[in-house]
Amino acid sequence: MAVGEGKFRLYSKLTPPLEAGLWRLRADQHLEAHTPETGLDENDLRVDQENVHLRIRSPRYLLPPDQILSTYPPANSFGSYGSRLPQVVIKRRTLPWERRLDGASDQTPWLALVLIAEGEAKLETSVNVENCVTEGVDLEGIKEVARGNCLVAKKSMIDRVFPTKNDINLLAHAREVDIHDTELMMGDDDGFLAVVISNRLPLPGKDEEGNDAPVKYLACLINLEGQYDVLLDRSPDPAPSFATQFLTKNLVVQEQAALDDHLVMGTALAPGRAGINPADLGELTNPVPLAASSKGSRTTGYQSGTAGGKGARPYAGSRQWGTSSRSKTTSAQVSLQMAESFRIVQGYETLPYDSEHRFPVLLHWSFTTTGKTTFRSLMTNLDSRLLGDVGKTGKPLSGRLPLEVVASGHIGLGHQTREGYRVRAWYRGPLVPHPTKSAGSDRLKLAHSSDQLRVVIPDGREDLSLATAFETGRLLTLSQPSIIAALMRWRQEDYHAARLRSLLVSNRNLWEEVLGVGFEEIELHKLGPLVGRFLADAIVRNPQRFLGNPRPRVTPGRPLEFEGSSTTLLARGLGLEPALFKGELTRVFNSLRNVQVPRDDLRVSELGRVDIRETLETDLDRQRIDLVSNALSNKLLNESLTGPAFPVTDRIRLDLSDDNLDMILRDTGRLDFTDEDES
Amino acid sequence: MINKNADVLEHLGHEFEKAARSPFTEFKQDEKTAMPAALRNWLVRLRLLEGVPFANLVADSELLPPESIRWFYLDRRWSDALVQGALSVGTVNSDDRIQLDAQYTAIRAELDTEERNVRRRKGVARLMGQPGPVTGFLLRSAAVSGWPGLHVRAFNVDPEEGDDFQFTEDDPRRVRLLRLERLAPAVLLCLFDSIPKVVHIEEPRQGVQFGFMHQDNGNQRSASLRPRNKDNFEYLADDGSKDVDVPFRVGSSGVVDIRRLSEALEAHPDTGAGDGLDSAEYALQLVTFPWRQVFGEVQVPPISAMFRATIEYETMVNATFKL
Repeated sequence: MAVGEGKFRLYSKLTPPLEAGLWRLRADQHLEAHTPETGLDENDLRVDQENVHLRIRSPRYLLPPDQILSTYPPANSFGSYGSRLPQVVIKRRTLPWERRLDGASDQTPWLALVLIAEGEAKLETSVNVENCVTEGVDLEGIKEVARGNCLVAKKSMIDRVFPTKNDINLLAHAREVDIHDTELMMGDDDGFLAVVISNRLPLPGKDEEGNDAPVKYLACLINLEGQYDVLLDRSPDPAPSFATQFLTKNLVVQEQAALDDHLVMGTALAPGRAGINPADLGELTNPVPLAASSKGSRTTGYQSGTAGGKGARPYAGSRQWGTSSRSKTTSAQVSLQMAESFRIVQGYETLPYDSEHRFPVLLHWSFTTTGKTTFRSLMTNLDSRLLGDVGKTGKPLSGRLPLEVVASGHIGLGHQTREGYRVRAWYRGPLVPHPTKSAGSDRLKLAHSSDQLRVVIPDGREDLSLATAFETGRLLTLSQPSIIAALMRWRQEDYHAARLRSLLVSNRNLWEEVLGVGFEEIELHKLGPLVGRFLADAIVRNPQRFLGNPRPRVTPGRPLEFEGSSTTLLARGLGLEPALFKGELTRVFNSLRNVQVPRDDLRVSELGRVDIRETLETDLDRQRIDLVSNALSNKLLNESLTGPAFPVTDRIRLDLSDDNLDMILRDTGRLDFTDEDES
Repeated sequence: MINKNADVLEHLGHEFEKAARSPFTEFKQDEKTAMPAALRNWLVRLRLLEGVPFANLVADSELLPPESIRWFYLDRRWSDALVQGALSVGTVNSDDRIQLDAQYTAIRAELDTEERNVRRRKGVARLMGQPGPVTGFLLRSAAVSGWPGLHVRAFNVDPEEGDDFQFTEDDPRRVRLLRLERLAPAVLLCLFDSIPKVVHIEEPRQGVQFGFMHQDNGNQRSASLRPRNKDNFEYLADDGSKDVDVPFRVGSSGVVDIRRLSEALEAHPDTGAGDGLDSAEYALQLVTFPWRQVFGEVQVPPISAMFRATIEYETMVNATFKL
């Protein structure tokens, strides 16, 4: 029957089919055969006995971590667990009943969860399994691990905090939960769990002043095999109290260190020599000044309130050296001080023999209980207000200005401006005490730098809230290289893609013409080849539109005139009289031989060097003046360009008209015009 | 004609080269989203103030004293500015800024939707539509450090079933949590998708717990157990008239005397202790439910009771300008 989500069913015991250990399965078959005529008895049809050996394994010294589903309180946690019993949930549902305790009923689990406050017992880790149990107790069977952990507890402590034989039965049960209920399943596979509860509440402590003090507890899941009789039969007889005392946390200054010393050394301060005066000590030890001593070392111990001072308290000796924190200057006084606690000893306590027992620890974890507060008390006493309210304890802390909170939720904060002035500015974080406008038009306009969001409000202070937010977002993003990379990739790919798209859209007709398809069907990644192909095609079809007319293969020469007789042409070509070529060949030949080669006569006249230079200089001057006067305005020419180097003549002036520069210079309204503005 | 086309072609050529070098993403494929997924996740987390230094959230420790819970509205302008700051990292020149300007509205709209679905459980419908106000609380208490894994539930109506009812995760009246995170060991930040009417804060349900109700008296602690009917798990008496005092073993701190406890329970046969208590019955009696704190006002108090400014703004202005 399904349990149903959110529900569970409790079983007081789930019996394992076989208990852990070595088993032998013996199979005997008896066969007989009978026919009307004859019969075979079992001796004739003998079948050998079959022996199967089984080993049922079950964790005995160490619980494998995968068997633990959860522990409460959580390991290594701090919390106020003082009204909840520690528990451990185990996946193997039959585990608490897989072994049998001598002298116990079937119902009795072999596991117990004991809770030990700091200092009450000792946990030894990594011990050989033979030493995990008390000497004299031998656990038969297989030891599946070589080393285990064990809890060493005095009998007196066992009597006080371990469950009694009676209790053990009630502290383990099995639970069946719905396998669809993740919260209760907690990762189990079949929905059946075994739960072992402790018998002790992890109470917090009180220090000597009665204030709450955290107490560290160790929870141990121990194996009781072979040591069931160590437990009390039933709870001790003094009538139970309906109130339990907090642990007293006492700080012990280790003055007893002296005691060990003197006992061992047999010095003057050994027991029995009370009444020593400091003068004696001078001979004993040379007074030497002490170095500045540290504060006395302290050890923390706990004792149960009612058990304090009883024989139950084990003598722990002193494990470390220490000096008490009183001011001491010489070693003699130290010695006196060391002896003091022994001198004032009041009486002897006889410590009854307190046997020590060792229990294998399958699982242990520790946690710390703090305070007497519970979740409920904390929650109901919460100061519930809107953020920005200072609350009931409105007392300002000393040494600082009272908190400035205005109705809008802004608070005043010190602000050092970029110029270095120390002023106060308003700031309001993202968490505000009243609804803010979040409709579309009230949303913040996009800003590109934090300074765009700085506001000066009417009281003269700056409101830096949004600028701070902007800068926080910027810095947080800058701290994430992967996000910067994503932003840059986005910018490169998508921004460029958007640009490409806008380019396509703005020349939509062109592209549709070029590619010959509708705009929506343009395949972007084929755009390049398509356009290239189209271009090449267009060029081949109409090269003159792209490249101009083709150049002819041969450049034609100048046309020749062939008019008249050949001799006339020849004579003209050579610059001779046509008459020369007339007549007989011999005569032509002779007359050509005698003809004067036509040549121009160079007229050489005598030119003086001075004449040439003056002629050239006059020309050069005119060129220079023309150039300069072309570049300069008339106004400048008239006013400034005078003197021998620049002989301005009326001719030049008359030739020049007003040009653009003159116009600009005359336009006084634009005198403040600068280059930068123009660009 | 030729020259104009040549310019277009040359520009296009550059774009092609870029497109060829970068892995090509068709914008049709990503058309429905305003930004890449990696960026969107980051901005949504930023919107919910992840990573924002605590001093920026609460500028002064006096605003969040110990053992207090402070309710707030989230300032959209602040979170928008945060996102804008993050986006400004990606803009290098004015061209980028123009692009961002053009896209910003879509980006913001997408973040508005996405941030509502951050903690969406598998199989639950996505929340769409216009963004409403985001609210939340800051809880600074030893309860946060001592009880890791608190459950927070918010409702937009006061549930009729009463405060102790078990509500399923996809109950339509539930307000979705946008963020629930411990900012410090003792500080819990929670953001809701709208303005909740009732908020439950519940002790973590780490499995089923066993324990008692306790009462401290000076140096002593006493505890009591409210017996249950073993058949239907109901309390025998809700008013506590049948409560059983828990006996403790004398001489030991916190050790429960189970034998005497079971003897005391025998007085109530419905608990199953009449014929002797077994371990299942004992566990049944000890099961303790997580405490559930309900926040929600029966009568809405005036704002002056919930929020008192230390300085009134007008007084402030007058003092500054010596009016």
